[in-house]
Amino acid sequence: MRSSVLVRHKWEPYLWLLPSVLLMTIFVVFPIGIVFKLSFSEISKAGMVGGFVGFDNFVEAVSAPVFGTVMMNTLVWVVSVVGLSTLFGFIIAMTLNQKFHGRKIARSIVVFPWATSLVIQASVWNYIIKYEYGNLNNVLLNLGIIQDAINWRASYQIEFAWECFVGIFVTIPFVTFCVLSGLQSIDGAYYEAATVDGATFWQKLRKITIPLVRPSLTVSTVLNVIYVFNSFPIIYTITKGAPANKTDTLITYLYMLAFYDQKKGPATALSVIGFLILCAVAGLYMAISLRKEDRS
Amino acid sequence: MSKKKNLAVLILCFCCMAVVLATFALPLVTFKTDIYVKRSANTFVGDEKYLEAKAEVGALAAEYEGSYIEEAVTERVNSKGVTTSMVTFTVKETITRSGFDFMKASFGYEPGMTGIGATGSAHAWLFLLLICLALLLWGSCGTLATPRGELSAKTDKLYLLAGVTALFAAIAAHAFVRAIIYTFSRQVDLLVGGHIQNEALLADLNTFLYHGKAGDSLLDLLKGLTVKINWSITPAFIAMLVLLCGITYLRYGKLKDTLVRGALYLFVIIVCIFILYPFYVMLITAFRSNAETTDMYFLNMLPTQWVWSNLKDICDRGVLQYLLNSVLLATGATAIAMVCGIPAAYAMARMRFKGRNLFLGFVIMSQMFSPVVLLVGISQLMNTLHLNDSIIGLMLINAAFNQAFAIWLLRGTFVSISPEMEQAACIDGCSTVGALWNILLPMAAPGIVTTLIFVFINSWNEYTISTVLISTPSNKPITVGITQFSSFNMIEWQYLFASALLATIPVIILFMCIEKHLAEGLTSGGVKG
Repeated sequence: MRSSVLVRHKWEPYLWLLPSVLLMTIFVVFPIGIVFKLSFSEISKAGMVGGFVGFDNFVEAVSAPVFGTVMMNTLVWVVSVVGLSTLFGFIIAMTLNQKFHGRKIARSIVVFPWATSLVIQASVWNYIIKYEYGNLNNVLLNLGIIQDAINWRASYQIEFAWECFVGIFVTIPFVTFCVLSGLQSIDGAYYEAATVDGATFWQKLRKITIPLVRPSLTVSTVLNVIYVFNSFPIIYTITKGAPANKTDTLITYLYMLAFYDQKKGPATALSVIGFLILCAVAGLYMAISLRKEDRS
Repeated sequence: MSKKKNLAVLILCFCCMAVVLATFALPLVTFKTDIYVKRSANTFVGDEKYLEAKAEVGALAAEYEGSYIEEAVTERVNSKGVTTSMVTFTVKETITRSGFDFMKASFGYEPGMTGIGATGSAHAWLFLLLICLALLLWGSCGTLATPRGELSAKTDKLYLLAGVTALFAAIAAHAFVRAIIYTFSRQVDLLVGGHIQNEALLADLNTFLYHGKAGDSLLDLLKGLTVKINWSITPAFIAMLVLLCGITYLRYGKLKDTLVRGALYLFVIIVCIFILYPFYVMLITAFRSNAETTDMYFLNMLPTQWVWSNLKDICDRGVLQYLLNSVLLATGATAIAMVCGIPAAYAMARMRFKGRNLFLGFVIMSQMFSPVVLLVGISQLMNTLHLNDSIIGLMLINAAFNQAFAIWLLRGTFVSISPEMEQAACIDGCSTVGALWNILLPMAAPGIVTTLIFVFINSWNEYTISTVLISTPSNKPITVGITQFSSFNMIEWQYLFASALLATIPVIILFMCIEKHLAEGLTSGGVKG
């Protein structure tokens, strides 16, 4: 009975949940339903919804020549951004967990990219890497580090790499803070005991730090997969998927399809595909967090 | 034993000084330059005029050691159909200069110069090095036998000062190389292109490279100038590193821990600079003039003139309205999210009922979906509800999609507070609502404020849904509003970033307030209890 208050009526808890359930049902569950319904319907260019057409929309979406590229880009985007930001975030969190002068200031600064709107962050980087007048060339030339201006966006592959870089840049703070919270909860006695036993830095990292931080790391990684998969403004601001959808991810591609090309049918089909991918990730996450709940 | 060791280290430090001095005498920098250009018009290779010109150029080249001649032929058919030809003879020379040559010049001391300049940093380097060694000598007098850790406060201070001077000397060494590249590549390019005028610098270049003999053809000669730093400078840099390690050893008697500590600070500083860099760009670009934002020859790291009127201009173009919309949107979304979220979180934290796990699953699932993947469905729904193009619609969507996080964070806070007080109040006849309102909420205030701010920031920064749903300009929130400054063919960077700055600063301040609590809530809120 550690967490219960007196409940006078059996239906009372449900009354407490009602506003929240209502809000989420209308604005989260309904759109899911609509997307599913539309994906199996014929939709005219003007947006009129016609009858049931089976899997036509899915076939049209998947058989589009750029579909493969877009899925590949999405994979590269999610894996590189989540993977590298987790790695760097982990390293930065380890550093910020040390005691040093100015630690508070450093922690506040690390939060900055997280607090900025993605569209603003992306606009700034879009300006920084311009060839003709971008700030990166300007700074490097003025510091005498390079002798001639470098074209930082010579090809679409490089532009896509820059987009991944911006993604990593804005994701690092989230990972850092998740890992930091895990690190702070580790009892210092473990490290003292390990030091007495003569353990090296790497041994401590492998045998103490990583196992104890793993729960936070799992939470942050799964949430990141979902955020990064759904991330839209970075690619939309820097390249808009150009040239010819070669830098699009699923999300930007379906946005363009739905709101520029007015192909709502295939777009909703892609939504459903994205939705199912996310469901798989979400299911995995639920399994993990519920198992943890049982344990505690 | 330790005395001998300390003495050896001290001598090593002095050797470093000697290495730096010796390196300064080496040819550190190689320039390739045109020293004479002769264009011979109406000349064909092999004819009389050609031979004449070649002899003249050859005689001139013979005067300079290490020079060689390059020929280029341009042929053109003129309007009368006659082929004309011009031969350009260029006498090229490889010039090397030692560190002492740079010290004798006056780069960085001439008026109108930005940056420290090659001569200035070379002077600083050697001067700081001298001071450092003097301090080291002073500190070591009579203390070489003292075990480290028992040094007097004065000696310790002297060693510290010596270390700091050595660090600055190393920075000056780095600045020396950067300044050479900057002056002889960037500034010369700008001088030749006519983007800057600097008579003093031209005179210096004339003296330094051409012994003052270039005269009127100076700009022509500079056109072909290339600069390369030779590897012979490496010993000096290694010596600086050894010196820093030596001083560290003299002060602490050990190296490893101090170096690790130094690396830690270095890493933190690099990370901070890296993270602040886009914000620096945003800040300086917001106050530059339109011409400066797209000027690739822009020389300064700061605006030449801070154009404060950019702020006024963006206000005239509706940014205040956008900010107001954003405040409305974020406040409304936060209020709705809290009104719905607090009771739900309370029930989840304090009550036991059937379907509790089902609801938890529902909450976690809804957290998985950003509105982007459901865009088409949402816009359809809002059409049906007649809420598209309205801020109220945005409020509701943002509130709904932040529900999961709000419940997540709030539940964690509530669970961490012991329920005994409320149970006592309930037994005393206080209603459940009363117990929540009067007892739990005040105690959970920090957690609630964290959630509040978090939802506020998320709604403030939201972009995708707003850009799809809102079409009336006067209803746009700031994130969508700023995109009006970047049309397809022209981007008004200064306005874009000035508005971005206004949109960013309040959020960063809010975020710094909750930074301490946020990470905890994110990872542990859901699994506590």
